[in-house]
Amino acid sequence: MSMDNRRIPIEERLNSNAWDVSQRPHIRIIDPDKCRKCEAKPCTHLCPARCYTLSSDGTVLFSHEGCLECGTCRIVCPYNAIEWTYPRSGYGVQYRFG
Amino acid sequence: MSQRFDVIVVGAGPGGLTAAQRLASRGFKVLVVERGRKPGSKNVYGGRIYAHVLDKLYPEYVKEAPVERWVRKERLTMLTKDSGVTVEFEAKATEHKSFTAYLSNFTEWLGRKAEAAGALVVTETPVDSLITKDGKVVGIKSGSDEVYGGVVIVAEGINRLVLESSGLAPKLQPSLVGLGVKEVIKLSRGEINERFNLDEDEGLAWALAGYPTHYVPGGAFLYTNKDAVTLGIVVYLEHGSKLDVPVYDLIEEFRLHPFISRLLKGGQLLEYSAHLTPIAGLKAMPPRLYGNGYLVVGDAAGFLLHLGVLIRGVDFAMESGRLAAEAVVKAHDEGKYDEEALSVYQQLLNESFIMREFNAFKNAHKALNNPRLYSDYVMLANAFMGRYFDVDGTPRRLWDTFMRAKGNLTLVDLTKDALSLVMNL
Repeated sequence: MSMDNRRIPIEERLNSNAWDVSQRPHIRIIDPDKCRKCEAKPCTHLCPARCYTLSSDGTVLFSHEGCLECGTCRIVCPYNAIEWTYPRSGYGVQYRFG
Repeated sequence: MSQRFDVIVVGAGPGGLTAAQRLASRGFKVLVVERGRKPGSKNVYGGRIYAHVLDKLYPEYVKEAPVERWVRKERLTMLTKDSGVTVEFEAKATEHKSFTAYLSNFTEWLGRKAEAAGALVVTETPVDSLITKDGKVVGIKSGSDEVYGGVVIVAEGINRLVLESSGLAPKLQPSLVGLGVKEVIKLSRGEINERFNLDEDEGLAWALAGYPTHYVPGGAFLYTNKDAVTLGIVVYLEHGSKLDVPVYDLIEEFRLHPFISRLLKGGQLLEYSAHLTPIAGLKAMPPRLYGNGYLVVGDAAGFLLHLGVLIRGVDFAMESGRLAAEAVVKAHDEGKYDEEALSVYQQLLNESFIMREFNAFKNAHKALNNPRLYSDYVMLANAFMGRYFDVDGTPRRLWDTFMRAKGNLTLVDLTKDALSLVMNL
């Protein structure tokens, strides 16, 4: 489908990348309670891969699969509640046109 | 890996690989440890490399390096939702001063250079921390593996996980970085030449401000490659909370701006990427660039000159890699890699273009961090032009047009901001 006049959903954009996703998450929310109480929840807005989403009960859910490995979540989290490292053994996004 | 190396380099990017190549070619036993599948597979940047460092380091690059296009046109646009004011500089022929390239390919090429010189590049291995003994860095740790070396060159990039975990850098603060988000869009070579008015191998470098970041401090870029266009946005993270849409939507709104989307018609998305970039000059540096047994180069050292329109990272990274290699050689000749011997690195940096540029622009970020630049002034420029060219029979005197276009800006603000830019950039 042409992309000329439509927004490409983030899932579709991520699908254009080459991936080798590890089963083992490289992201961990240290204390979900902190996220529930966090008002701004900057991770949900500033993660370019939309890895952090808000569930209906106010919990922050994350998926490591689409992580672009920029590290934004780690530094914008006001409560240091996100443990973010690099994927092991070369896993994760494989940039071809970085 | 129970071997011992003369030099261990953490990270196979432009900085680390330059250091590795220089040292290996002088007979040092060099190990480069990289987390990606191959050098370049985790690298992302805007899209352009300034060639002056390559002229010195790898004069053969003109034939060998994966250059996309030589930049012949520089364009700067202050963009609103429905208008834009553009300044363009165009030279008749390209001066071969900078070129567009994919950093992934370019870094892979630097990796081959380092290997050809004799460096061992080990991939798929993220380094967790430095090994310290009696206050001296003596090696690196990755999982349960330990490798020892005479000196460690930290070239891990902007996310300083290794320096942080080793207590050598404080946690990165949002005020020091911008988030770059980029899309690479395939078009035919002919379409690019025609739409951007370029000849074969000639490129455009385009910086935009205003609407692309919804008037929040930051900007946007567009570069032409051979048969693709790379475009993206950079948001100063300190101001990230001011965005009214999530950043993953922001870049789509920029791409769909009528001025941009018509240039990309029929294109196809090849890749969607993101990376942090240092924006704060000297302030983005870790407290120490050298110490007992280690040196820091490239983005990890904060070596990226961000002047709004002009952004230089790869040339700074490579030059710092070259200087780190020189420092290691000098320290080796003295027979020790302690803090005192390695302090020559700071001296070399001070004498190089790196510190000359950073010192010349030490307040640039302060000037560029002014939110009015990305909102009020973009509006002013567009309102002024819009009114000036809207001929309706009443005189369009410059001063009156300007006074009407400036909106709520006061002349005091204007004078102050203009001075700040002129004095600091």
